[in-house]
Amino acid sequence: MKDTLSVVGQNLVPVYANDKAAGTVKFPADISLPGMLWMKFTRSPHAHARILDIDTSQAEKMWGVVKILTYKDVPRVLFGPYKDELYPLDEEVSFVGDSVAAVAAEDWNIAEEAVRAIRVTYEQLPAVFDTEAATKDDSPMSALHLPDSGAEWWKDIDGRNGDERPSNVIGGTNQIPTWVNQRGNLDEGFKESDFIVERVFHQAHVSAVPHEPRGCVAVYENNQCTLWCSVQDPFKVQSAVAKVLALPKESVRIVSTIIGGGFGVKVLGRFAVLAALMARETKRPVKVWFTREEESLDSHNRSALVHYVKAGTKKDGSLTAFKVRTYMDNGFWMFGGLGDNIAKAICTRPMDLYHRCPNVLWEVLTVRTNHPSTGPYRGRADAESHFAVETVMDELAHGIGMDPLEFRLKNRIHPGDPLCSVAGKIMSAVGLEEAARQGAEAIGWERRGTFANGKGSARKRGMGMAMIIHSCGSNPSGSSEARVEIDERGTLSLFSGTPDQGAEQQTTLRQMVAEVLRVRLNTIGGNNADTSNCPFDSGPYSSRTVYCAGIAATKAAEAMKQTLFAQAAEELEAPEDELVLADGFVAVSGAPSRKVSFARLAAANGGLLKTSYRYNSQDEVLFAYGFAAAFAEVEVDTGTGEVEICRFVSSHDVGRAINPIIVEGQIRGGVSQGVGYAMSEGFRFDPRTGTPLNQWFLDLKTPSILDIPDIEPIMVELGEPTHPFGAKGCSEIPYVGVAPAIANAIYNATGARLYELPMSPDRVLKALSAVNGGGH
Amino acid sequence: MSQVKENKQSDDPRHWRDIELAVNGKRHKLKAASTWTLNDVLRNVLEMTGTKRACDYGGCGSCTVLIDGLDAYSCVTLAVEAEGKDIQTIEALSDAPEPHPLQKRFAALYAAQCGWCTPGMIMSAKALLDRNPDPTDDDIRVALSGVLCRCTGYTAVVRAVQEAAVELRGGQR
Repeated sequence: MKDTLSVVGQNLVPVYANDKAAGTVKFPADISLPGMLWMKFTRSPHAHARILDIDTSQAEKMWGVVKILTYKDVPRVLFGPYKDELYPLDEEVSFVGDSVAAVAAEDWNIAEEAVRAIRVTYEQLPAVFDTEAATKDDSPMSALHLPDSGAEWWKDIDGRNGDERPSNVIGGTNQIPTWVNQRGNLDEGFKESDFIVERVFHQAHVSAVPHEPRGCVAVYENNQCTLWCSVQDPFKVQSAVAKVLALPKESVRIVSTIIGGGFGVKVLGRFAVLAALMARETKRPVKVWFTREEESLDSHNRSALVHYVKAGTKKDGSLTAFKVRTYMDNGFWMFGGLGDNIAKAICTRPMDLYHRCPNVLWEVLTVRTNHPSTGPYRGRADAESHFAVETVMDELAHGIGMDPLEFRLKNRIHPGDPLCSVAGKIMSAVGLEEAARQGAEAIGWERRGTFANGKGSARKRGMGMAMIIHSCGSNPSGSSEARVEIDERGTLSLFSGTPDQGAEQQTTLRQMVAEVLRVRLNTIGGNNADTSNCPFDSGPYSSRTVYCAGIAATKAAEAMKQTLFAQAAEELEAPEDELVLADGFVAVSGAPSRKVSFARLAAANGGLLKTSYRYNSQDEVLFAYGFAAAFAEVEVDTGTGEVEICRFVSSHDVGRAINPIIVEGQIRGGVSQGVGYAMSEGFRFDPRTGTPLNQWFLDLKTPSILDIPDIEPIMVELGEPTHPFGAKGCSEIPYVGVAPAIANAIYNATGARLYELPMSPDRVLKALSAVNGGGH
Repeated sequence: MSQVKENKQSDDPRHWRDIELAVNGKRHKLKAASTWTLNDVLRNVLEMTGTKRACDYGGCGSCTVLIDGLDAYSCVTLAVEAEGKDIQTIEALSDAPEPHPLQKRFAALYAAQCGWCTPGMIMSAKALLDRNPDPTDDDIRVALSGVLCRCTGYTAVVRAVQEAAVELRGGQR
């Protein structure tokens, strides 16, 4: 198949790349309109409090202030990205940075000054920050109530009996976990084990840090509301704004064509709904543009976690038992807390990866705290689990004297295995062995025992690896629709509801359409993520665009091809099976002069040909996952605890790379963020007050150009049978294995194990002193 | 509940300064509040939105422009400080008839993923190539270390700058 493709598989210049390099691409914050106001937010200094009084009188007197909204002024209507659980503003604040009031003023400075002039009197309430303590019966509650009609929030969750004792455990109780993955008999499994490892892992919160701070420009005219908005889920924002403003959905237009990084966190939030309300109140355009501090606070993070792990293996390398209890700090809102959620994926996907392990008990307690919300961020659920799982796998392999790579492969999933992560689904293709072997060859895996780490040198070299499973787009929820059009001028367009947050999905989708319709990439136009002319898409999360939207775009293009052939067959008086496509024409095979243009066929059809396709992955039984193997070579400075990443090979079963330069870029970028998670990032909060300690750029410690080596991507292209071009999404999975691969490399170099993220120099020194008997 | 308030221009209490800025070779006479940064004025008064902002305090480099030929953070430069200086923004390159070699290479090598840090990255790279037309990879990494990127992992950025340098040298490797 590959040989016959002319557009798919090519390194073509991404469609928005020239405008991005020119600086002419318009992000929401780049839009200015006549008479536009700037909106800023008063934010809570307390982690949990009730607002007793808000005095806006001083702020209202300030020149330039136009309007202030508090919880008393906004509709008491619930909305939310995954569950309706937020009011536009509320009288109970639940984390430091929670929105309290919105000010619209003539410029950004005045709005900021007015924010500071608003006097709020709070009644402080008990707050919880420690997930394990929060699941004790004497713990205070992180919320007095969910803000729906005063009902205690726990009564509404998952059909729970309202008489039960309230708990901070979402979807469970202090005794019952949020989600449990169980198979086999754990006691039997441990009895059969020749070697058992028992460890505790701690992982810090981490912020996604997209570089564009969220922006939104709202216009309300003639009972129509338009928002240019930095969000990945424009259709959810459309529904929420329509609900809160009591407008028909079609009267709300959301445009999020291009946004400056998303990584899973740029979802519907109060800022968008309040911008719409403020535009309606003031009858003027309103701009919101977060500061970096707001982008850190009023977002969601990857949760902090504690994993208690016990796992066993036989001498021959057969996993026998895997037991985990995970405490996940959900923060306040339930961006990931319920339903098909992070908790479920944490406790099931690694046990799909190691399908051969017969005995499993993995419990996850998702605990509501008074930290900012957590939720999906690049590598959702699997970055949460793999550090612990892949460190333990390494320890088990070493314990029985087996090559960690072979140990992992021995226990891996195979095509046709039933999945525990998605009920009723069967595993499709698995390119794990190929990815692992090619990665091992590239880095020289056999060198790992040969480093000369003599006593004389303070720098020790080592190599480690991790094996990875992650979503590649096949997703039990969500759907994607694509529409292909040809107009009477012959212009071919693709309309898709998915924003470009940097992965250049429109390029990839248009390449598939171009391939089907045999045209050049740059002849395809169209639009994306504008709810006024694009069909529904759940949005670019779970690496689903290339897969779900890709299937939709390809099928819509195939339907267009059929339409063209049916009409051309009449026009050319030739049977359809003798027709071919060539550069905007339908021609008779072997008689290239007998041809008709796309333009003429469209003109004959009222000036427009239109086909569309809606893809729902829940209809399929075969389920695709992304697989990868990560290899790190590091040098540890045993004097300072600093770890230099000398090489990093990230080897991926990508199915097929539609545009290899984009896939390689996603792999390098994903690894780079993963290095931050592994080594330096960590969003920290004061353990007594919940106050964020490092919400600014330099303190978030994202990797700079001096911290990241030239990452070596490998793309294994075996073809995914459930996708028309064999592609799988590959934008998140590169992140997932970085921390365990580096941790295992540090062990290989020094004999020291790290069980806490980030692996900052102080923690490395501590781990070194543990192996060196207290001194180093 | 607060009312929607009218604000008369004549009551405006802000401290206005008449300033003249030389941006991309053109002089702009304008009024700026004394608290406004160069970034505020470029984006909100001159409507040159190619220059971004991501942190407000010199922590990331998305707002990088050239001031008298050196890369500088426009978010921590007050507009009034920039008077009398030669300011260059990404628009200086974009308004030229042909894209700058840096822009072409950033696009072709996917060194601009989300595009937010890109104008700052390109301006910082231009400052480097203006003073050192034949940099090593390490020279590039050191020179661009004031601009953070969250998307690319930087390899494509280094290669784009190298290829642009070759083109600017007339193809000489």
